[in-house]
Amino acid sequence: MSFFSIDNMSVIFGGLRAVSNVSLALGEGEIHGVIGPNGAGKTSLINAVSGLVPMAGGTIHLDGKPLQALPPHRRAAAGIGRTFQHAEIFPDQSVIANVMTGGFAHRQSSLLQDFLGTPGKAAAERQARREAEQMLDAFGLLSFCDALAGDLPFGTLKKIDLARALVGKPRVLMLDEPTSGMNDTEAQEVIAACRRIAGELRVTLLVIEHNMRVIMGLANMIHVLDHGEKIADGTPAEIQRNPLVIEAYLGHGSAAHA
Amino acid sequence: MSDFSLMGLKAPTVIFGAALLLLALALPPWFGSYHHYLASLALINIIMAVGLNILTGNAGQISLCNSSFMAIGAYATTYLSVKLGLSYWLALPLGGVISAISGFFLGFPALRLRGFYLAVVTLGFLEVSQILIEQLPGITGGVRGISSPRPALFGHTLSSDLSFYYVILAITLATIWCAYSLLRSPTGRAFEAIRSSEAAAQTLAVPLAQTKLAAFVISAFFAGIGGGLFASLVGFIDPLEFGVWTSVRHVVFIVVGGLGSITGSVVGAIVLTVLPEVLRAFKEYQEFVFGGLLLVVLILLPHGLVGLGPAIRARLTQSDATSVAAAQRGVAE
Ligand SMILES: Nc1ncnc2c1ncn2[C@@H]1O[C@H](COP(=O)(O)OP(=O)(O)OP(=O)(O)O)[C@@H](O)[C@H]1O
Ligand SMILES: [Mg+2]
Repeated sequence: MSFFSIDNMSVIFGGLRAVSNVSLALGEGEIHGVIGPNGAGKTSLINAVSGLVPMAGGTIHLDGKPLQALPPHRRAAAGIGRTFQHAEIFPDQSVIANVMTGGFAHRQSSLLQDFLGTPGKAAAERQARREAEQMLDAFGLLSFCDALAGDLPFGTLKKIDLARALVGKPRVLMLDEPTSGMNDTEAQEVIAACRRIAGELRVTLLVIEHNMRVIMGLANMIHVLDHGEKIADGTPAEIQRNPLVIEAYLGHGSAAHA
Repeated sequence: MSDFSLMGLKAPTVIFGAALLLLALALPPWFGSYHHYLASLALINIIMAVGLNILTGNAGQISLCNSSFMAIGAYATTYLSVKLGLSYWLALPLGGVISAISGFFLGFPALRLRGFYLAVVTLGFLEVSQILIEQLPGITGGVRGISSPRPALFGHTLSSDLSFYYVILAITLATIWCAYSLLRSPTGRAFEAIRSSEAAAQTLAVPLAQTKLAAFVISAFFAGIGGGLFASLVGFIDPLEFGVWTSVRHVVFIVVGGLGSITGSVVGAIVLTVLPEVLRAFKEYQEFVFGGLLLVVLILLPHGLVGLGPAIRARLTQSDATSVAAAQRGVAE
C-alpha cells in the first residue's frame, strides 16, 4: 500500500459531483501535481482530504491508517498539512504569529503553563519563534516578521501560508496554487525553497498548480482532473502529449497559463 | 514598528504601562477613601474586561453573560468564606474555579452557535442565573441580598479601602500577566485562529470545540475572581448588581478600549469607570453625555481607544503606507 492514498473519493455539492471517484497514490517523499481547468474539482479534492467538506464516498489512507472518519484537526495532527488557494491568513495577526500558529501540533507547553506564564512556556515560546523565523527566512520574509499580515500583498500571503504549513512539519502537504499572485522569478524561488524544505523534512507533496512551467518541472507524476473526474495521470512528459488533456484545456477555452 | 521592545511589547505600550503602574502605586495615599473605592472598582472592571476580551476579542465568541460569571464568583466566594468559614484567600480562587466550571457548561451550546444566536443563548444563561440567585436565598440571600465582609490579611482586616485597593491591584496585575502570557502562547494563537478562520485553524491541528471551551472557561475564571473581589469591596451584593446592564457595560469596556487588546481592556475599563463620576457635574444629563461620548469614540475610532496611539504616531511621523494602515486597524497591544 502506498504511503498516502485517496481511493474512489467523491464529493457532492447539492446536485453537483465536484469530485467523482477519484483515486491517487503517492509514495513517501514523492511530489505529485494536480492540474485541471477551473472548476475541475482540484480544491474540493484537497478540502475533502482535510475534512473541510464531507466526502460522499471513498477512503483516505496515510501510512496505512484510514483518515476519513477523523475530524479535520485530527487529520492535521496525523500529518496532513495544506495551504489555501486564497491563503486564509489571519489578517489581524503579525506575520510571525501566523507562522507560529502553524506549529500548534508540536506545541511544547500545556494550557496551564500558557495561562501561568511559566519559565518552561517562555522557553517553548522562544523555540517556536526561532523555528518560525527560520521558515520565514527561507522564503525571504524575515523582514516582515512584525508586519500585520492583513496589510501585505497576495503573493506574500501565499508565501506566509506555505511557511505556516511547513512549520507544522506535515507528512503530506497539499498546496493549492502556491505560486498564484507571484511573477515567474518569485514563483521559481518559492518552489525551490519549498522543494528544499520538503526534502529536508521528508514531506510528501501534492501540488495543485495552474502554472504549467512550474508543475512540469516540479512533479514526478501529474494527475489531471476535469469535471470532477480524473481523466489522466502520468509523468509530466506523458501528460504534455496526452490528447485528452489538451482537449480538456482547449475544450474549456481556458488554455494553461503557461 | 518600533526599534525598542520589551518581551514583544512595543515601546509606547511599555512606557504607558509603566507610567500607569507607577501612578496606581504612588497616587492613592494622597487621596481619600472614596477615590480608593473608585480606583478599586476600576481595577475590578479591568479584570472583567480582560477576561471578556479574551473570549470575545481574541476567540471571537460573543457573550452577554459576563455578569453571571461575576455573580457566581461573588456568591461562591461569599458563601464559602462566610457560611462555610473558609479563608477568603481560598474562597476567592475557589469562586473563580466554580465560575470556570459554569463557563465550561455554557461553552457547550457555543460549540454549535455563533454570532447573534450565541448572544441569545448567553442572555438565556444570564436570565437563568438571575432566577437561581433569587430562588436560592439560603446561599445568596435571594432578592434581599447578602453581606460580604472584608477579608483579613496577616491578621489584619482589610477594612480600609486603601489596603484592600492594594490587594486588588496585585490581583489585577496577576490577571494581566496571565492574559499576556496566554495571548503569546499556542493557546492564545489558537483563540485568534478560530476567530479569524475556523477552516485554517482546523487544518493547523487546532481543535475547535476544545479551544472554544477553553476560552469560555478562562474568561469565566477571570469574571469569577472579579466577582469575588467585588463582593467584599462593596460589602453587600444582590441580584441587581449582576443584571444584563452590567454585562453590556463589560462589552462596552472592550469595544471602546479595543477588541483583542489587553491595553484596550485596561484603558476601556478605567475610562468608563471614571468617566461617569466626572460626568456627575452634568447631573440629569449624565447618561446622555456618556452615551454621546461613546458614540463619538466608536465613530471616530473604529478600533477603540488603543487605535488612537498608532493613529497619532502615524500622523506625526508621516510614515509609510504599512504603518498608516496598521494605525487604522489599531494594532497597538
Ligand atoms: N463549498 C462548496 N459548495 C458548493 N459548491 C462548491 C463548493 N466548493 C466548490 N464548489 C463547486 O465545485 C466545483 C469544483 O470547484 P473547485 O473549487 O474544487 O474547483 P477547482 O478545480 O479548484 O477550480 P479553480 O481552478 O477555479 O480553483 C465548482 O463548480 C464549484 O463551484
Ligand atoms: Mg481551486
